[in-house]
Amino acid sequence: MILLQEILVFIIFAIAVGYMVTKFIWKPAFLKGKKGNEKSCGVSGCGCD
Amino acid sequence: MGKQINVALIGNPNTGKTSVFNQLTGLNQQVGNYPGITVEKKEGICKLPRGLRAHILDLPGTYSLNASSIDENVVIELLLNKNDKDFPDVAVVVTDVENLKRNLLLFTQIKDLEIPTILVINMADRMKRKGIELDIPHLEEKLKTRIALVSSRKGTGIDELKELITNYRQISVEPCINASVMDPDYFERLRKAFPNQSLYKLWLVITQDVNFGNVNRQALSTNPGFQTKGENDLKRLQQKETILRYQFINGVLKAGLKVDINSATDIRLRLDRILTHRVYGYLIFFAIMLLISQAIYNWSTYPMDFIDVTFASFSEWAKNSLPPGPFTNLVSEGIIPGLSGIIIFIPQIAFLFLFISILEESGYMSRVVFLMDRIMRRFGLSGKSIVPLVSGTACAIPAVMATRNIENWKERLITILVIPFTTCSARLPVYLIIIALVIPNETYFGLNLQGLTLMLLYLLGFGIAIFSAWLLNKILKIRSKSYFVIEMPNYKLPLIKNVGINVIEKTKSFVLGAGKIIMAISIILWVLASYGPGDEFENAEEIVLTQNENIDISDKDLEEEIAAHKLKYSYIGIVGRTIEPAVTPLGYDWKIGIAIVSSFAAREVFVGTLATIYSVGSDEEETIKNRMAGEINPVLGGPLFTFASGISLLLFYAFAMQCMSTLAVVKKETNTWKWPILQLVIMSTFAYFVALIAFQVLK
Repeated sequence: MILLQEILVFIIFAIAVGYMVTKFIWKPAFLKGKKGNEKSCGVSGCGCD
Repeated sequence: MGKQINVALIGNPNTGKTSVFNQLTGLNQQVGNYPGITVEKKEGICKLPRGLRAHILDLPGTYSLNASSIDENVVIELLLNKNDKDFPDVAVVVTDVENLKRNLLLFTQIKDLEIPTILVINMADRMKRKGIELDIPHLEEKLKTRIALVSSRKGTGIDELKELITNYRQISVEPCINASVMDPDYFERLRKAFPNQSLYKLWLVITQDVNFGNVNRQALSTNPGFQTKGENDLKRLQQKETILRYQFINGVLKAGLKVDINSATDIRLRLDRILTHRVYGYLIFFAIMLLISQAIYNWSTYPMDFIDVTFASFSEWAKNSLPPGPFTNLVSEGIIPGLSGIIIFIPQIAFLFLFISILEESGYMSRVVFLMDRIMRRFGLSGKSIVPLVSGTACAIPAVMATRNIENWKERLITILVIPFTTCSARLPVYLIIIALVIPNETYFGLNLQGLTLMLLYLLGFGIAIFSAWLLNKILKIRSKSYFVIEMPNYKLPLIKNVGINVIEKTKSFVLGAGKIIMAISIILWVLASYGPGDEFENAEEIVLTQNENIDISDKDLEEEIAAHKLKYSYIGIVGRTIEPAVTPLGYDWKIGIAIVSSFAAREVFVGTLATIYSVGSDEEETIKNRMAGEINPVLGGPLFTFASGISLLLFYAFAMQCMSTLAVVKKETNTWKWPILQLVIMSTFAYFVALIAFQVLK
């Protein structure tokens, strides 16, 4: 029973770490959604260039 | 599936365009009163008669087709680019019956692009009260269009609008105005140089300082048969165009619109006179803010206490009911306390958004924008900066995006850079728990001290934001010119539905958005606090027993000592002790240091982190607040959370840049890492030294 609980803890820990990594550090291509259209910036001097 | 047509919903800000969009598509969205609320493109599907479907685009509010902000460019770029997949088959221009004259300027410009254009006259339910009468057949004839008289609040006229959209092919595309009368010679040369293009479209391309995708401005300037005019001449022609349009509109409305002034705007004028008064205006605004901060505290005490106690019992129940082992410990000491660290703040956050929504819905927020412009100008900001700054009290991310309606780049950049100083809802949990620990729950002159402290923190955030703006205005060498135009919507009773949706959506997004991160961090922290390397962790029990061999100590105290020893030598303990020298001068222990580090992802993680760390090894059923109150300062002795350390922590959180998502949005909006990195370094360094000084002075 303890071993099973240890495994469960490990799985949940791995999911939590995986979530944080994909959220803030690096997202694999298959998790990325469609890229939105790049819009031109408009007003000159807006710092986009 | 039937045929689908593209419909563009266009209009001045505050004409109820988003409400019309909601009525047509059935999608729920926020409807606010202050300008700039519709920043992003919104779309939906509307089922029309005879099996037709309409793809409806809710475009950002714009006053004219002479672009002065990025929002307005979105509208113009779409209307000038026939190859755009969203190019409208029919444009629906939404106007407010009380501001028809001004709203028609945009209508005539769109009509002149030779796109089938329907005119929606919204807020028809106010006509009788305001003494307004319309001659619809006359208006339809003169404006060469079809008109739908709509009340988006009451849902009337929507079926008629759907019918008009269905029959859009019957609408005339004849322009309202012959643009070439502005300068016949110039337009004749333009016509000859570009024989296949719409004249008014060419004129717009020439006069706008934007890139219109498929319409290449260079092609205009390099065409040998056409010499464009200088900037000053073009501006003069633009003014001439506006005068021409208003002459046309005046002529149309002379017979088409009648207003009985006697029954019109008395109440509004009287209210405006008080609410935007040079002295009373600010006093009233201050009083409203005071009322809100007091109400947030007083009204939410009972549900918060209930949630806190319930989660503590739930944690205890999980520990006793599940089979003993590490997973049970994770649930009772990691997951449940982590969850309670976010759910407990739902009542306060809901109340905050309730008040903000009511202020927006009632029309008061626009008066605040007007009122604050006088002050903002002195600090290098625009009156429009108050919208993102107020939005920043909810979340800095949409607030940074809301700066798009500030036309001037310097003012926009300064606003983006100072927004993170305003007190966002993620700071609220940190403030609330620390205030509850170090500020007495006492009342003086009917004012609760804790509520007063919260309000001071909000004012401090605004104050530092304004001061930083002034400083940045002096430092940043960006040349720019600015002007301020604001819509003053009518006062109205807030719609319960809109307020309710707003409160639910904002609270839900806070809980779900932050909740996932808090949950993940709680789990990671619990594991790091429950496992460790080396003999000191593995043999913690034996070591503590040996240390206490000759001392009379109760079993409970012994257990606590073993748990403390384990925590000290766990992975998180090692990290915490490594950073401890940096946080000790601020009055914190390593546990708070860990909470600060983990909350660099998102501020709201702070309380959940402490709840998790303090729960590890604890068998007692205790609330988060009690656990924190019971902590002892390892260096000075006595309670860890004293007035000095509490104020130091509050100030640290007031100024530190602890939100990865905000940094990402700032990078996106400024298109460089330079500004977010500067924000992170300067704000965090400033926060550290302010917290250090506060603790050293107050201890």
